[in-house]
Amino acid sequence: MKRLAAAWRFAWRELLSGELTLLALALLVAVCATSSVAFFADRVRQGLTLHANQLLAADLAIESDAPLPSSLVLSARQAGLQVSGSQTFPSMVTTAGAVALASLRAVPDNYPLRGEMRVRLADGKVRVGAWRPAPGDAWADSRLMARLGIRLGDRLRLGNLSLRLSGELLREPDGALAGYSFMPRLLFNQADVTATGLLGPGARARWRLMVSGQPVAVDAWRRGVEARLPAGARVESVEDARPELRSAMTRARRFLGLTAMLTATLAAAAMMLAVRRFLARQWQPVAVLRCLGLTGTEITGLFATVLLALALIGGGLGSALGYGVQAALAGIAIPDAGETLPPPAVWLIGLGPASALLLLIGLALPPVMALRRVPPSAVLRAEVPPRSVGMGLPPLAILLLIALSLWQMDDWRLAGWLLAGMSGYFLVAGGAAWCLVLGSRRLSRGEGAIGWRFGVAALARRPWLAVLQVVALSTGLMALLTLTVVRTDLLDAWRQSLPPDAPNQFVINLQPDQVQDFNAMFAAARLPMPEIAPIARGRLLAINGRPVQPAQYRDEQAQRLAGREFNLSWRDAPPEANRLVAGQWWSTAAVDEFSLEQEMAQAMGIRLGDLLTFDVAGTQLVGRVTSLRTVAWNSFRLNFFVLAPRAMLASRATSLVAAFYLPPAQRGFADRLVRRFANLTAVDVSDVLDQVREVIDRLAQAVEALFVLTLCAGVLVLWAALGATRDERLADAALMRALGASRRQLRTVVLAELLWLGGFTGLLAGSGAMLLGAFAGWKLLELPLRCNGLLPVLGLLCGMLLVPLAGWPLLRRVVRQTPLSTLQAR
Amino acid sequence: MSDDPKVRVLSATHLARNILFQGETISILHDISLDVYHGDSVAIVGVSGSGKSTLLSLLAGLDLPTSGEVVLFGQPLMSLDEDGRALLRRRQVGFVFQSFQLMSPLTALENVMLPLALAGETNARERATDMLARVGLAHRLRHYPRHLSGGEQQRVALARAFVGGPALLFADEPTGNLDTVSGAQVIELLFELNREQGTALVLVTHDADLAERCGTVYRLAQGRLSAERS
Ligand SMILES: Nc1ncnc2c1ncn2[C@@H]1O[C@H](COP(=O)(O)OP(=O)(O)O)[C@@H](O)[C@H]1O
Ligand SMILES: [Mg+2]
Repeated sequence: MKRLAAAWRFAWRELLSGELTLLALALLVAVCATSSVAFFADRVRQGLTLHANQLLAADLAIESDAPLPSSLVLSARQAGLQVSGSQTFPSMVTTAGAVALASLRAVPDNYPLRGEMRVRLADGKVRVGAWRPAPGDAWADSRLMARLGIRLGDRLRLGNLSLRLSGELLREPDGALAGYSFMPRLLFNQADVTATGLLGPGARARWRLMVSGQPVAVDAWRRGVEARLPAGARVESVEDARPELRSAMTRARRFLGLTAMLTATLAAAAMMLAVRRFLARQWQPVAVLRCLGLTGTEITGLFATVLLALALIGGGLGSALGYGVQAALAGIAIPDAGETLPPPAVWLIGLGPASALLLLIGLALPPVMALRRVPPSAVLRAEVPPRSVGMGLPPLAILLLIALSLWQMDDWRLAGWLLAGMSGYFLVAGGAAWCLVLGSRRLSRGEGAIGWRFGVAALARRPWLAVLQVVALSTGLMALLTLTVVRTDLLDAWRQSLPPDAPNQFVINLQPDQVQDFNAMFAAARLPMPEIAPIARGRLLAINGRPVQPAQYRDEQAQRLAGREFNLSWRDAPPEANRLVAGQWWSTAAVDEFSLEQEMAQAMGIRLGDLLTFDVAGTQLVGRVTSLRTVAWNSFRLNFFVLAPRAMLASRATSLVAAFYLPPAQRGFADRLVRRFANLTAVDVSDVLDQVREVIDRLAQAVEALFVLTLCAGVLVLWAALGATRDERLADAALMRALGASRRQLRTVVLAELLWLGGFTGLLAGSGAMLLGAFAGWKLLELPLRCNGLLPVLGLLCGMLLVPLAGWPLLRRVVRQTPLSTLQAR
Repeated sequence: MSDDPKVRVLSATHLARNILFQGETISILHDISLDVYHGDSVAIVGVSGSGKSTLLSLLAGLDLPTSGEVVLFGQPLMSLDEDGRALLRRRQVGFVFQSFQLMSPLTALENVMLPLALAGETNARERATDMLARVGLAHRLRHYPRHLSGGEQQRVALARAFVGGPALLFADEPTGNLDTVSGAQVIELLFELNREQGTALVLVTHDADLAERCGTVYRLAQGRLSAERS
């Protein structure tokens, strides 16, 4: 073993001498990319859940129209959970000169469990945090204060009790979900409830039980209590109530996965080239070592150890670097991430070294095994290394790495598609590159002086290397194009999926005979017309005659849909924000048809043509599923799982629902609506909307930041791809110089090769980016399918510009140097 | 190592080497027999492409003959596997190449230490330092090959070849890349070391001066070996 120390020293010198720099850098970037995204995605996943829970002011809430049994509270405490509860009820609030109806909410001292209260106190300062009114105090929102004509510090009366108005309520964390309505709001301490005398038997109140704790414990408790909730009580979680928030998170995760995939692919391509060059350069030294008596096993062992060390060191370092990058990303995505975001899962630290090992085994093992077979007699001849070794393993390793980076998408079907797409791209690029080589051979057959034909022929002289180069270069360019052009398209489309005028107000319980007056009020206020849809409550009874039971579904959402009533609506034309993915929309004369939301249909095992039976207000309605739709849940518009034709539901619709956008300055309009139609219930979702918008913006910024890393990887690939043939090109050029080629001729030769290579790879890359972009928009972000036909052209131009540019130093060296010095440089 | 001049270090009998090139068998060497004794100096001359390097790699066990046998230090090479031949080389054989073949990331001293270290021998540093002094490079110990002239590089290579005290040294055109003055220096050193250590030399060369100094000269032509002078 001591003998190997010398060989070791040789190998380490080799490492430090720069031969391994590119390899090490590429490894670092690959590991850094995969691990930073893994860390970040994990934190975002945890953090967004937390963030979402802030909308609940808890991890879980149970809403009920009667006091909840104390056994429930007890069981939550026993499960180690924090428990809080509030009561909300309508009542009159009086002052010396005025009276107003308000929605009162009594909160305990540990409210809110999650999220932040925003309040302006008497000193004029805005406080944000876990604040609540102290006993004897009350906080009112600006509407109530306006209606009562009072200011901070004034007194007001609730039933038998007089309270001091100590704060202006700006935002309740769970305001959007806790039945926030157009009624003015007043918050006071639970200690004062009894003294008001307002909450006696028969009072119309809503009780809300909130819990928080370890996610596992909360989940376990939820499963335990869900089955034995009293009538009139239901569990609320943000994702149930706010599908658009979930949708934003899912998209962000997919975006990150896509970026990670591209970065990892790029870095892997750079590594593949770097490994090839590194080991090709070891050919002669290894032959000498063989002459000096090193056995094949010792040679393999030597390089395997060096690469293993590189994997561990590079992997560890890359992982650490990835942690840093992740922290920076988190800082961008979520301010004060340090406090609000949980740290990433510990086991993810192993991911870096693991992926480094995977890459090196896949990419370097075959050539290392080939080194073992270097014949010692090679040292007597200037023998060239074998061109292709172990062709199967490197693609496998790269695909595995891609799979690893896609895994944070949490969606195997999509990841599978992307993986298949990438493999397809490699194959097509490889095939195209082979055609290019053949084409170059044919083109270069013409006679004539040394000129561009000679440069083109250079590709044909080293066919395998040319194929490798084209695949790596085009993958690099494709990733860069995807991330520069397509990314902006996608991010913009994502942001625009929630336009500034997305509805922020919903009104339910609108009666058919009120619609005309309702609309007239909008017209009078010069506001855009609201979107109005009829609603009928229905329960799914049977699919193809077989009764539907919640227990038969594993999917949680399907269980819920099978068990409860939900909103159906009727329409003549398909909704604008929906896309028909199967079947056909009905004619106006249709009677017994249904149109279902695709994911819901899938979850419930319903297919096109199935016969469904619904119970709507006691009547059984039977119809066939004639179309499936995808619904943009994140659009904040009126969306329904199930739609029916006019003839089936029009007579059974009980009321209407309206959605509209109110600019902040016009919030007063909502008051007027409610005063005009007393039966309306209104929900203001502008807070939620703002929060979703914020989430999207922040995540989009994080994705852009990650792009910088990808850019590094792209530059590495360009460098590696051109460096891979640097020695051969220099030798060629020296030879040509020696044979009397002029500088101009040499320049033409090299430029021709670079332009030809760049144009071809650029075209390939542009087409790839076009397809990837279309797929990403369509499948990942659920936007309408769109192809950017300009991308192939853009790719062509980029390739013809970037590749010669990256090859410029080489070109200069080739042209400037004397033939002798170029020969000696080998 | 014995001083008996009749110890045979290398014996080749009826060597032939064919290669398959684009489906055709080309015969490069036929029926070559040759013996080398302790302390001998043997030159093999011939025009370029006559198969000198091919013969050298067969004799040194770097490659295997199509037929015939090579016995190195009493060991038939055919009876050893690749690793066995490597071990044999490690202990008893030195090499000098036309293009020097020094390890570029290692200093002159480290290059010379390398064979000793590979053979697991002690005080490699002192021995390598002495050897470099012996070839006149005591002041260049810490220099890297790229900072040395061709003649100096070849002297480092000589030091590397002789430092282990090999019984047999193979050299393929050792002066082929050198100017006359450096070439003469290298030749001088080669024979001094041959005398001092009793190392048998097998040289492939174009260089008439070099062949002149050898005890035996063979000529290789059309794949056949003939004694030119002995
Ligand atoms: N592996 C090989 N493949 C093809 N031809 C070879 C190979 N090895 C040697 N040759 C041919 O054998 C002949 C002798 O080569 P070599 O031994 O290098 O000659 P020398 O060293 O005398 O110049 C040459 O014609 C060379 O082309
Ligand atoms: Mg030769």
